[in-house]
Amino acid sequence: MHRDEIPPGTLYLLILKTLARVGEMHGYEIADSIQRISNDVLQVEEGSLYPALQRMLIKGWVKAKWGTTAGNRRARYYHLTVAGRKQLETELSQFERVIGAITRVIQTA
Amino acid sequence: MDWLSELLRRLWMLIRRQQFDADLKEEMRLHVELREQEQIQAGLSPREARQAAARRFGNATVLKEKSHMAWGWDWLESFGQDIEYGSRAMLRSPALTIVALLSLALGIGANTAIFSLLDAVMLRSLPVRDPANLILLGKGNVSGITDDFARTQLYSYPFYRQMREENQVFSDTAAIFSMTNDIHGFVEGRIESEPMSVQLVSGTYFTTLGVRAFVGRTLDEADDNSEGDHSVAVISYAWWKRGFARDPNVLNRKLKLGATTYNIIGVAPPEFFGTKVGEAPDMWVPLSMVKVVPPNYGGYKDNFSESLLIMARLKPGISISEATSNVNLLFRQILLGFPDAKLSQENLQELDRTKVPLTPMATGLSSLRRQFSEPLQILMAVVALVLLIACANIANLLLARSTARSRELAVRQALGARRTRIIRQLITESLLLALAGGVLGVALASVANRLLLRMVSGGLDTIPLDVSIDTRLLLFTLAVTIATALIFGTIPAFRGTRVQLTDTLKAGRGPQGTSGKNPLAKALVISQVALSLVLMVGAGLFLRSLFNLNNVDIGFNKENVLRLEIDSSSAGYTPGEPREVALNQQIEERVSALPNVKAASFSAFTFHEGSWSSNVVVPGMNTDEDINVKHNVVGAGYFATMQIPLLAGRSFSPSDTSTSQTVAIISEHTAKTLFPLGNPIGRHYRLSDNKPENDVTVIGVAKDVKFHDLAEEPVNLDYFPYTQHPWSFGDFEVRYTGGFDPVAAAVQQTIHSIDRNLPITRVTTLDQQVARSITNQRLVAQLSAFFGLLAVFLSCIGIYGVMSYVVMRRTNEIGIRMALGARRSNMLWMVLREILILVSIGVVIGVPVTLAGDRLVSKMLFGLKPSDPVTLVSATVILLIVAAIAGYLPARRASLMDPMVALRYE
Repeated sequence: MHRDEIPPGTLYLLILKTLARVGEMHGYEIADSIQRISNDVLQVEEGSLYPALQRMLIKGWVKAKWGTTAGNRRARYYHLTVAGRKQLETELSQFERVIGAITRVIQTA
Repeated sequence: MDWLSELLRRLWMLIRRQQFDADLKEEMRLHVELREQEQIQAGLSPREARQAAARRFGNATVLKEKSHMAWGWDWLESFGQDIEYGSRAMLRSPALTIVALLSLALGIGANTAIFSLLDAVMLRSLPVRDPANLILLGKGNVSGITDDFARTQLYSYPFYRQMREENQVFSDTAAIFSMTNDIHGFVEGRIESEPMSVQLVSGTYFTTLGVRAFVGRTLDEADDNSEGDHSVAVISYAWWKRGFARDPNVLNRKLKLGATTYNIIGVAPPEFFGTKVGEAPDMWVPLSMVKVVPPNYGGYKDNFSESLLIMARLKPGISISEATSNVNLLFRQILLGFPDAKLSQENLQELDRTKVPLTPMATGLSSLRRQFSEPLQILMAVVALVLLIACANIANLLLARSTARSRELAVRQALGARRTRIIRQLITESLLLALAGGVLGVALASVANRLLLRMVSGGLDTIPLDVSIDTRLLLFTLAVTIATALIFGTIPAFRGTRVQLTDTLKAGRGPQGTSGKNPLAKALVISQVALSLVLMVGAGLFLRSLFNLNNVDIGFNKENVLRLEIDSSSAGYTPGEPREVALNQQIEERVSALPNVKAASFSAFTFHEGSWSSNVVVPGMNTDEDINVKHNVVGAGYFATMQIPLLAGRSFSPSDTSTSQTVAIISEHTAKTLFPLGNPIGRHYRLSDNKPENDVTVIGVAKDVKFHDLAEEPVNLDYFPYTQHPWSFGDFEVRYTGGFDPVAAAVQQTIHSIDRNLPITRVTTLDQQVARSITNQRLVAQLSAFFGLLAVFLSCIGIYGVMSYVVMRRTNEIGIRMALGARRSNMLWMVLREILILVSIGVVIGVPVTLAGDRLVSKMLFGLKPSDPVTLVSATVILLIVAAIAGYLPARRASLMDPMVALRYE
């Protein structure tokens, strides 16, 4: 099965959107969720999620707290902050602007 | 605010670093394990599942590092590692570390200490308002009292008054008595008298300087407008603290100086020590009191009693040259306007010739400066050279070490260390070394400058001088040494990390065994040798000058003479009154009669104490030039006490009284000057004005003695008995046998049994007094010898380091040569030869530098020329020998090597 690399710079957007949708998730759930919803097209190198999450922690977009999984294991759960929601809006509008521009270029044949 | 909370989060992470790592690890493990489970459920074997999960996750270590680095603290962590590693590396080679640290510490410490003293003596501005606008009339290099016409060094009080009122260029003008009155007075309510240093100043002194009182008020113009009735004093902060324990009620305390009681009206601010660097008066008293402060100099209304220094503050916008022309115009007008001016042809010519120079006074006055500015500059040059040598040494040691480590660096690079990382580590190590040396240097400087001040003070009370460490120079020397450490610690790093790794890894057998491979290190050794030679020759010259000075014929016997000072004017005696003469005679008689005392006498001066001089005239002799003779006023036993041989005539005797014929004993040199023909005994001459009452008869001729310093040529000297020339005495000399202490105690006891109120000070030996006159020569000789030896030592370390390194690099070559039949002595010579070549080049460069440099110090030398061949040759020989010894150790190691071991050596 062929999998596409995610476009550079969109990892934050994907994580933010995923968290905004579900509320609270740990790292594996985030990776899994991105893959499933993209119908396994978007393939994250799963580990690269973690440095990204650290950067988002520094920026204050997400917060983390330890909880327990369904399988009764300790896991770190991430959720969006107010700043994170604002960032999501910014990234979304930016993304749409870019995609819109690209779409227009492609369609103007 | 965002950046602030972000910073807080980053800091929080820094504190909880370990927790952070553990959390991240756990989180990642969970992820991989969950993925693994999922794969197993999807039907993979456990092994395949684990591999798949790991593959999908990526390189966990790199990811962990990336997560870690995101927080931005990696530089700090690697810095910590570097420091740890660097300290371990320093401890691993303790000898190298100690030498490097010592070089740094001495380089930094000595420079800072000497510069601090130099700064305090020569450069620092007075702590007053706008010191740059202060000027002095004349050059300020004379103190005393004179009545000479048209002198520009000292001025009379009436002259000061007129200058102040009539000039158009100064915003204010002040007068300072050119001597301090070092007397004994009483703090009211205390029984014992205390030594007090009184500075007489005009009422405008503090306002001209712009110094405000710390407590109470300073002197003002009203304190100085009529003679004798303004008994007020401003005391120094230091004395307030020392003598009054900072009594807040000090303004109600009183002082008794001589017969007069003074009100303390104020305390000067803490930083203000006066206007003379190296002297700190306890109090300032208005000049209107000059006649009643012991020893009662007087001259407040005398137009030609010239004893004052005049300083002034330039009006804004007035240049020095404008001020100079105004001052010179007034100088002429005022002098010619004095009704008692002696306008002889000679004096008028003198006035025409004379021009008053104006000297900037921002840095204050100082006799210390005259005495020590040259020695201090020489020492500054010496320590600067030592700093250079120390830097060369550090450079050499670091070069040798990091070259020796090039393989280690190559291995680390091969294992994946980034080049920047390795360079950063070497920089950190060098910095660590330099900073540790710097800290030691600061510690050394703070000890050294106090030691230095004590050496400069020459055994007397420590000169009151603020020699606290000079931050500017400290920073400068630190910067120089740190830069050296950085440059030479990292040059090899850049070089080493650029090389082809495989070459370096294979090295040891490489082709770089040839000796020409290390030109930088060799250049450093050569310059060290050259600089050491300069310092050694300098030290040799100074030591030999000191030796010559110590062996000069002084004309009197300085051994076994006790000398002390008696302040009889503070105890109420007036010079010349019968009571005072009787007191002096009684003290001389009673002390002479003590056991172990052979003779005792008062004198105005002994040696190195200033002088009283005047021009003399021989009646009938027509001389165009003034013959200046220095006078000494002595007791009858002076020649016996000092053991100055009388060459003709007789000594003074009790029959020379105030009513008998006035007599004088003249020195050999004076006899030749005044009476070139015939026997001088019984001849006459006159002091100054050629008046009959100044006539004296020569009764004896004494051997020439040194009077002011050991290096002087014979001067014209004569001696008068104190019965005929009243003198407010200081000096009392006692020739004794046996131990100093019992005699000193007995003498003081005897003096106090005659009058218990007589203050006695400065009890010491004549020998020490003579030694004190060459304090600066001794200072320069001792310190330059110390630094010369230090320089040689450092150079030897440098030679040893470089040669050890060379031998190490050539081990294989040595092995091959010996396997081919070279003898041990050949090996020894091969290495030694290289050293001797280096040292010889250093000497060849050093000799002309030395000859050029030593000409600059010729004024400090005595009894030899700057190009003294003996010193030059012996310094060169010593340097060669010591260098050969330093090189012998590695050379011997080379010659003792087992060829098999040497061949296998890597």
